[in-house]
Amino acid sequence: MMDSIYRFFAGGTFWDILGTFYQSAVFVYGFTLLMAYALLAAMSLTSIRNYMKKNASVNYDVIVESPLAPGISVIAPAFNEGVTIIQNVRSLLTLNYPKFEVIIINDGSTDDTLDKLIEEFQMIQVDYAYRQKLNCEMVTRIFKSTNHAYDKLIVVDKVNGKSKADASNAGINVSAYDYFLCTDVDCILDKDTLIKLIKPFMDQETVKIKELGEHCPECGYVMTQELHRRVIATGATLRMVNSCEVDEGLITRVKPPVRYLPRFQEMEYIRAFVLGKMGWDLINCVPNVSGGLGLFDKEIAVMAGGYDPKSFGEDMDLITRMGAFMKDNRKRYSIRYVPLTLCWTEGPTTMKVFGRQRSRWARGMAQIMSIHRRIIANPRYGNLGMIVFVYHFLFELLAPIVEFTGVLFYIYLIITGQINWPFAIILIVFVYTYSVMITTLALLWDQITFKYYKSWKETIGLCLMAFLEPFIYHPLIVFFSMKGYFNFVTGRKHTWGDMQRQGFGNQQKKKR
Amino acid sequence: MWRDLVDLLWQAYEQFGFLPLFIQVAFSLIIVAILATITAYSSILYKRYQAYVHEKRLNFITPKLEDLITEQVLLNEKLSMGVPVDEIEFDPVPLSDKIYKKIWVRQVMIDVLIQYRKNFRGDVGELLRKLYIDMELTKDSFEKMKTMRWERKIKAVIELTQMNIPISDVTILPLTNSPNPLLRAVARNAYIQLSKNEPFKFFDIATEPLLPWDQLEMFRIITTTKDIMIPNFSRWISYSTNKSIVAFCLKLIAHYDQKTAIPAVMDLLNNKDHYFRAEAINCLGKLSAEIAEVRLVKIYEHQPLNCQIEILRATGMIASGKYLDFLKHELMYSTNFDIRMAATRAIINHDSDESAAIIKEVMNTTYEENRIIIKHCLNPLIRN
Amino acid sequence: MANILVVEDDEIMLKAIKNILSKDGYNVILAKNGKEAFDKLENADYDLVLSDLMMPYANGLEVISRLKNDPAKKHISIIIVSSVGNEETITEAFRLGADDYLKKPIMAGELLIRIRKLLANRAIRHSL
Repeated sequence: MMDSIYRFFAGGTFWDILGTFYQSAVFVYGFTLLMAYALLAAMSLTSIRNYMKKNASVNYDVIVESPLAPGISVIAPAFNEGVTIIQNVRSLLTLNYPKFEVIIINDGSTDDTLDKLIEEFQMIQVDYAYRQKLNCEMVTRIFKSTNHAYDKLIVVDKVNGKSKADASNAGINVSAYDYFLCTDVDCILDKDTLIKLIKPFMDQETVKIKELGEHCPECGYVMTQELHRRVIATGATLRMVNSCEVDEGLITRVKPPVRYLPRFQEMEYIRAFVLGKMGWDLINCVPNVSGGLGLFDKEIAVMAGGYDPKSFGEDMDLITRMGAFMKDNRKRYSIRYVPLTLCWTEGPTTMKVFGRQRSRWARGMAQIMSIHRRIIANPRYGNLGMIVFVYHFLFELLAPIVEFTGVLFYIYLIITGQINWPFAIILIVFVYTYSVMITTLALLWDQITFKYYKSWKETIGLCLMAFLEPFIYHPLIVFFSMKGYFNFVTGRKHTWGDMQRQGFGNQQKKKR
Repeated sequence: MWRDLVDLLWQAYEQFGFLPLFIQVAFSLIIVAILATITAYSSILYKRYQAYVHEKRLNFITPKLEDLITEQVLLNEKLSMGVPVDEIEFDPVPLSDKIYKKIWVRQVMIDVLIQYRKNFRGDVGELLRKLYIDMELTKDSFEKMKTMRWERKIKAVIELTQMNIPISDVTILPLTNSPNPLLRAVARNAYIQLSKNEPFKFFDIATEPLLPWDQLEMFRIITTTKDIMIPNFSRWISYSTNKSIVAFCLKLIAHYDQKTAIPAVMDLLNNKDHYFRAEAINCLGKLSAEIAEVRLVKIYEHQPLNCQIEILRATGMIASGKYLDFLKHELMYSTNFDIRMAATRAIINHDSDESAAIIKEVMNTTYEENRIIIKHCLNPLIRN
Repeated sequence: MANILVVEDDEIMLKAIKNILSKDGYNVILAKNGKEAFDKLENADYDLVLSDLMMPYANGLEVISRLKNDPAKKHISIIIVSSVGNEETITEAFRLGADDYLKKPIMAGELLIRIRKLLANRAIRHSL
């Protein structure tokens, strides 16, 4: 989010040296960005407080007791997760919800993932009427348990499709319920995840209908238009599991990561979810539901074509297509975010894996902006075109580029001795203090909903990372983003599917 | 030394006016950012301190309250001897402890009592209610009703409903149409549970939609409240203009198996909203409305997919056997996968010799995909 | 007197049931989740298990299935005490071998009567 705040100091020196036009452009860019952050902070505070107020008195038990609860399919792809698969599946099976199924997609693992599942849960292959609604690699076998205690579990064995998107599509094809939760088998979910995420779907105003055409004389059928906003997806905050205490797939104590790299990520995640997503939620402009955890309306997701296995940012790509689909059909929709952490994921701990992840994200962003360029600033797409895409194009996609070139220019100025040091320093201090403020506010907002960390030392320890971020973490992100863009432009082949997930798995196996 | 500093600042201030605008802005924002950061840090620490104190208080009082409830209610001697709840008197000594005068303790007490009430009904539940009344916690709840803040009002209504304390119609009825959806929902629930004469009156006057989430809560209250008068829900099916109320009544009709409502529900088959029509068809299936079958099969051709599937399901639930040929035809010749699946299930649902024969026959004549569909539906391990 | 294992993740309910049952003279052992329940089932012999359905680590259905599939523990009676109202789940519990099902909120008196009855039936079966 802050990806480009630093470009501003470069802007300052441009101001002194370059012509008025360029000066003004950069100044406006930087100023708008900073104001956008302040605005987001204010909006997210409002929306978090609204959420807390509204949900303080909600009796969540009622859905557990109710026969009217809508069904949810939990979809979790697994690739070479043999060491932890059993615990993680068990933890998914004990989610607090009355009507759900757990679909594990064995994405052509080369280890014993599948054997372990078959043995532990007494699974046998069944003749399953599988239908390919969404494109994916071939599904070879489907397993169900002979023990009725595991009735909720379905295991799908498929040919490796080199991406999570491909495996998730297979899961959607198998799923039976109207909603699906997309997660990763190595993510740890809060036990109330399904309840908390289905709630926004059920708060929707009931369908109000306007007729569009003539009645069919036989049956009275008529084209209708929905005037309510249909919730098509919900998401919640993700955090790092790295230093949490975990017992058989259950978080027993939340702690910020000890190592610096994941700790920076925890801070960044909180900022992105609490400040970013919750802020956008207020004005119905949520840009993305994270791939680690999201609940989707299956009907819309399928009509929008499901996940794109070729995409590098398949989560945002799907959300964009679902939104565009709704807009193309002139339906109103919304995407909701819940300010609670419901999912814990393993953050990369080595620079290599981290760098690969970030390059991929950046490449994904570039890809989405180019594939969906028709949406950018297109009033036909409402908020999606005019706010979400414009913002992301200007301040997410372009930011690293502006910043990178800015820094180069700055260095050039220093070398040639054309720099106005006092002004430059004031601007640097300004950008620095401002970014520290935004991050600290995000961490404060996060404390409103729930006190995840037990001791104040842990909390402050995390807050202090905001002071180091501009020097250490941020330059890395800019660098890896540029690398991602470079890969995008040169179209280099990707191999993330195997590598990234294998990377995650291996770290985790040592830990638990 | 102080003087030097003041002079310096003064000079800086004097020169500030001559700086370019963007530097001035930047400078002011630096000050703002630093102040905001410091404030944020202090609030984080302060909030944590507050939470810490609160937690400590809770840890101190909760065991005490639990002991009190255990002693006075769960293990009450008179209760186990079969003395009626109304005649049981609590031991006045522990109840008059000064600590129960504190407002925050009383709030915790209410919350804990509600927790227990969620787990126990019957005599124990009644005795918990009596404890709530005898400790005059009712007053605390009614006090909260009087505030202007809606979230406090909601809390009050919930407490009174949970404890089954009647609220006068004058107080509660206006709230059932409140512009605040949350307050509206709890008020409606309270009204249904607590109003003895006409619990469903607001169905007639409700103009605002009944959200799916609120339907959950209301469904629970209607189906669990003792001696509630269950009306014939078909009257709202026919006359209510509030769509969500009609949809909700469909679920209630199915739940209470109100067969007399079948004609009213059948009228909904002409409705223009196909999601809604699907719900009506589903309701007919659950009611095993055999008279509706002819009509359902007749309109089948012109329905959108979701309604067609509901019709197939309904035919399976009604299972009169008259339309097995129709189902067989759909299974064998429909081009749509979901329809073939639903038709298979409907045939199997008939659970008769005839249906078994059909399944067998189709199994031998049809192509591979259909065979897998049949195997899938017959497999007891697969539920969906 | 009979040994009863109570498995329940709500602390209030756990303590309350313990108190009620102890008062009637049963020897009550508590488990807060599925994992604890399995541990305690290993280490001692029980006559009856009272279990919730939704709990961390292993749900109530698994507890039933584990007990009923173990020849050494097959004889233990199981009563499910849960707030789940979903009929499919209830049927499932019975199919796996639960002896009784009580929906929360429960009546304390009813719980005691059912326990007594189950244990008495067992005694009869044993003596035959």
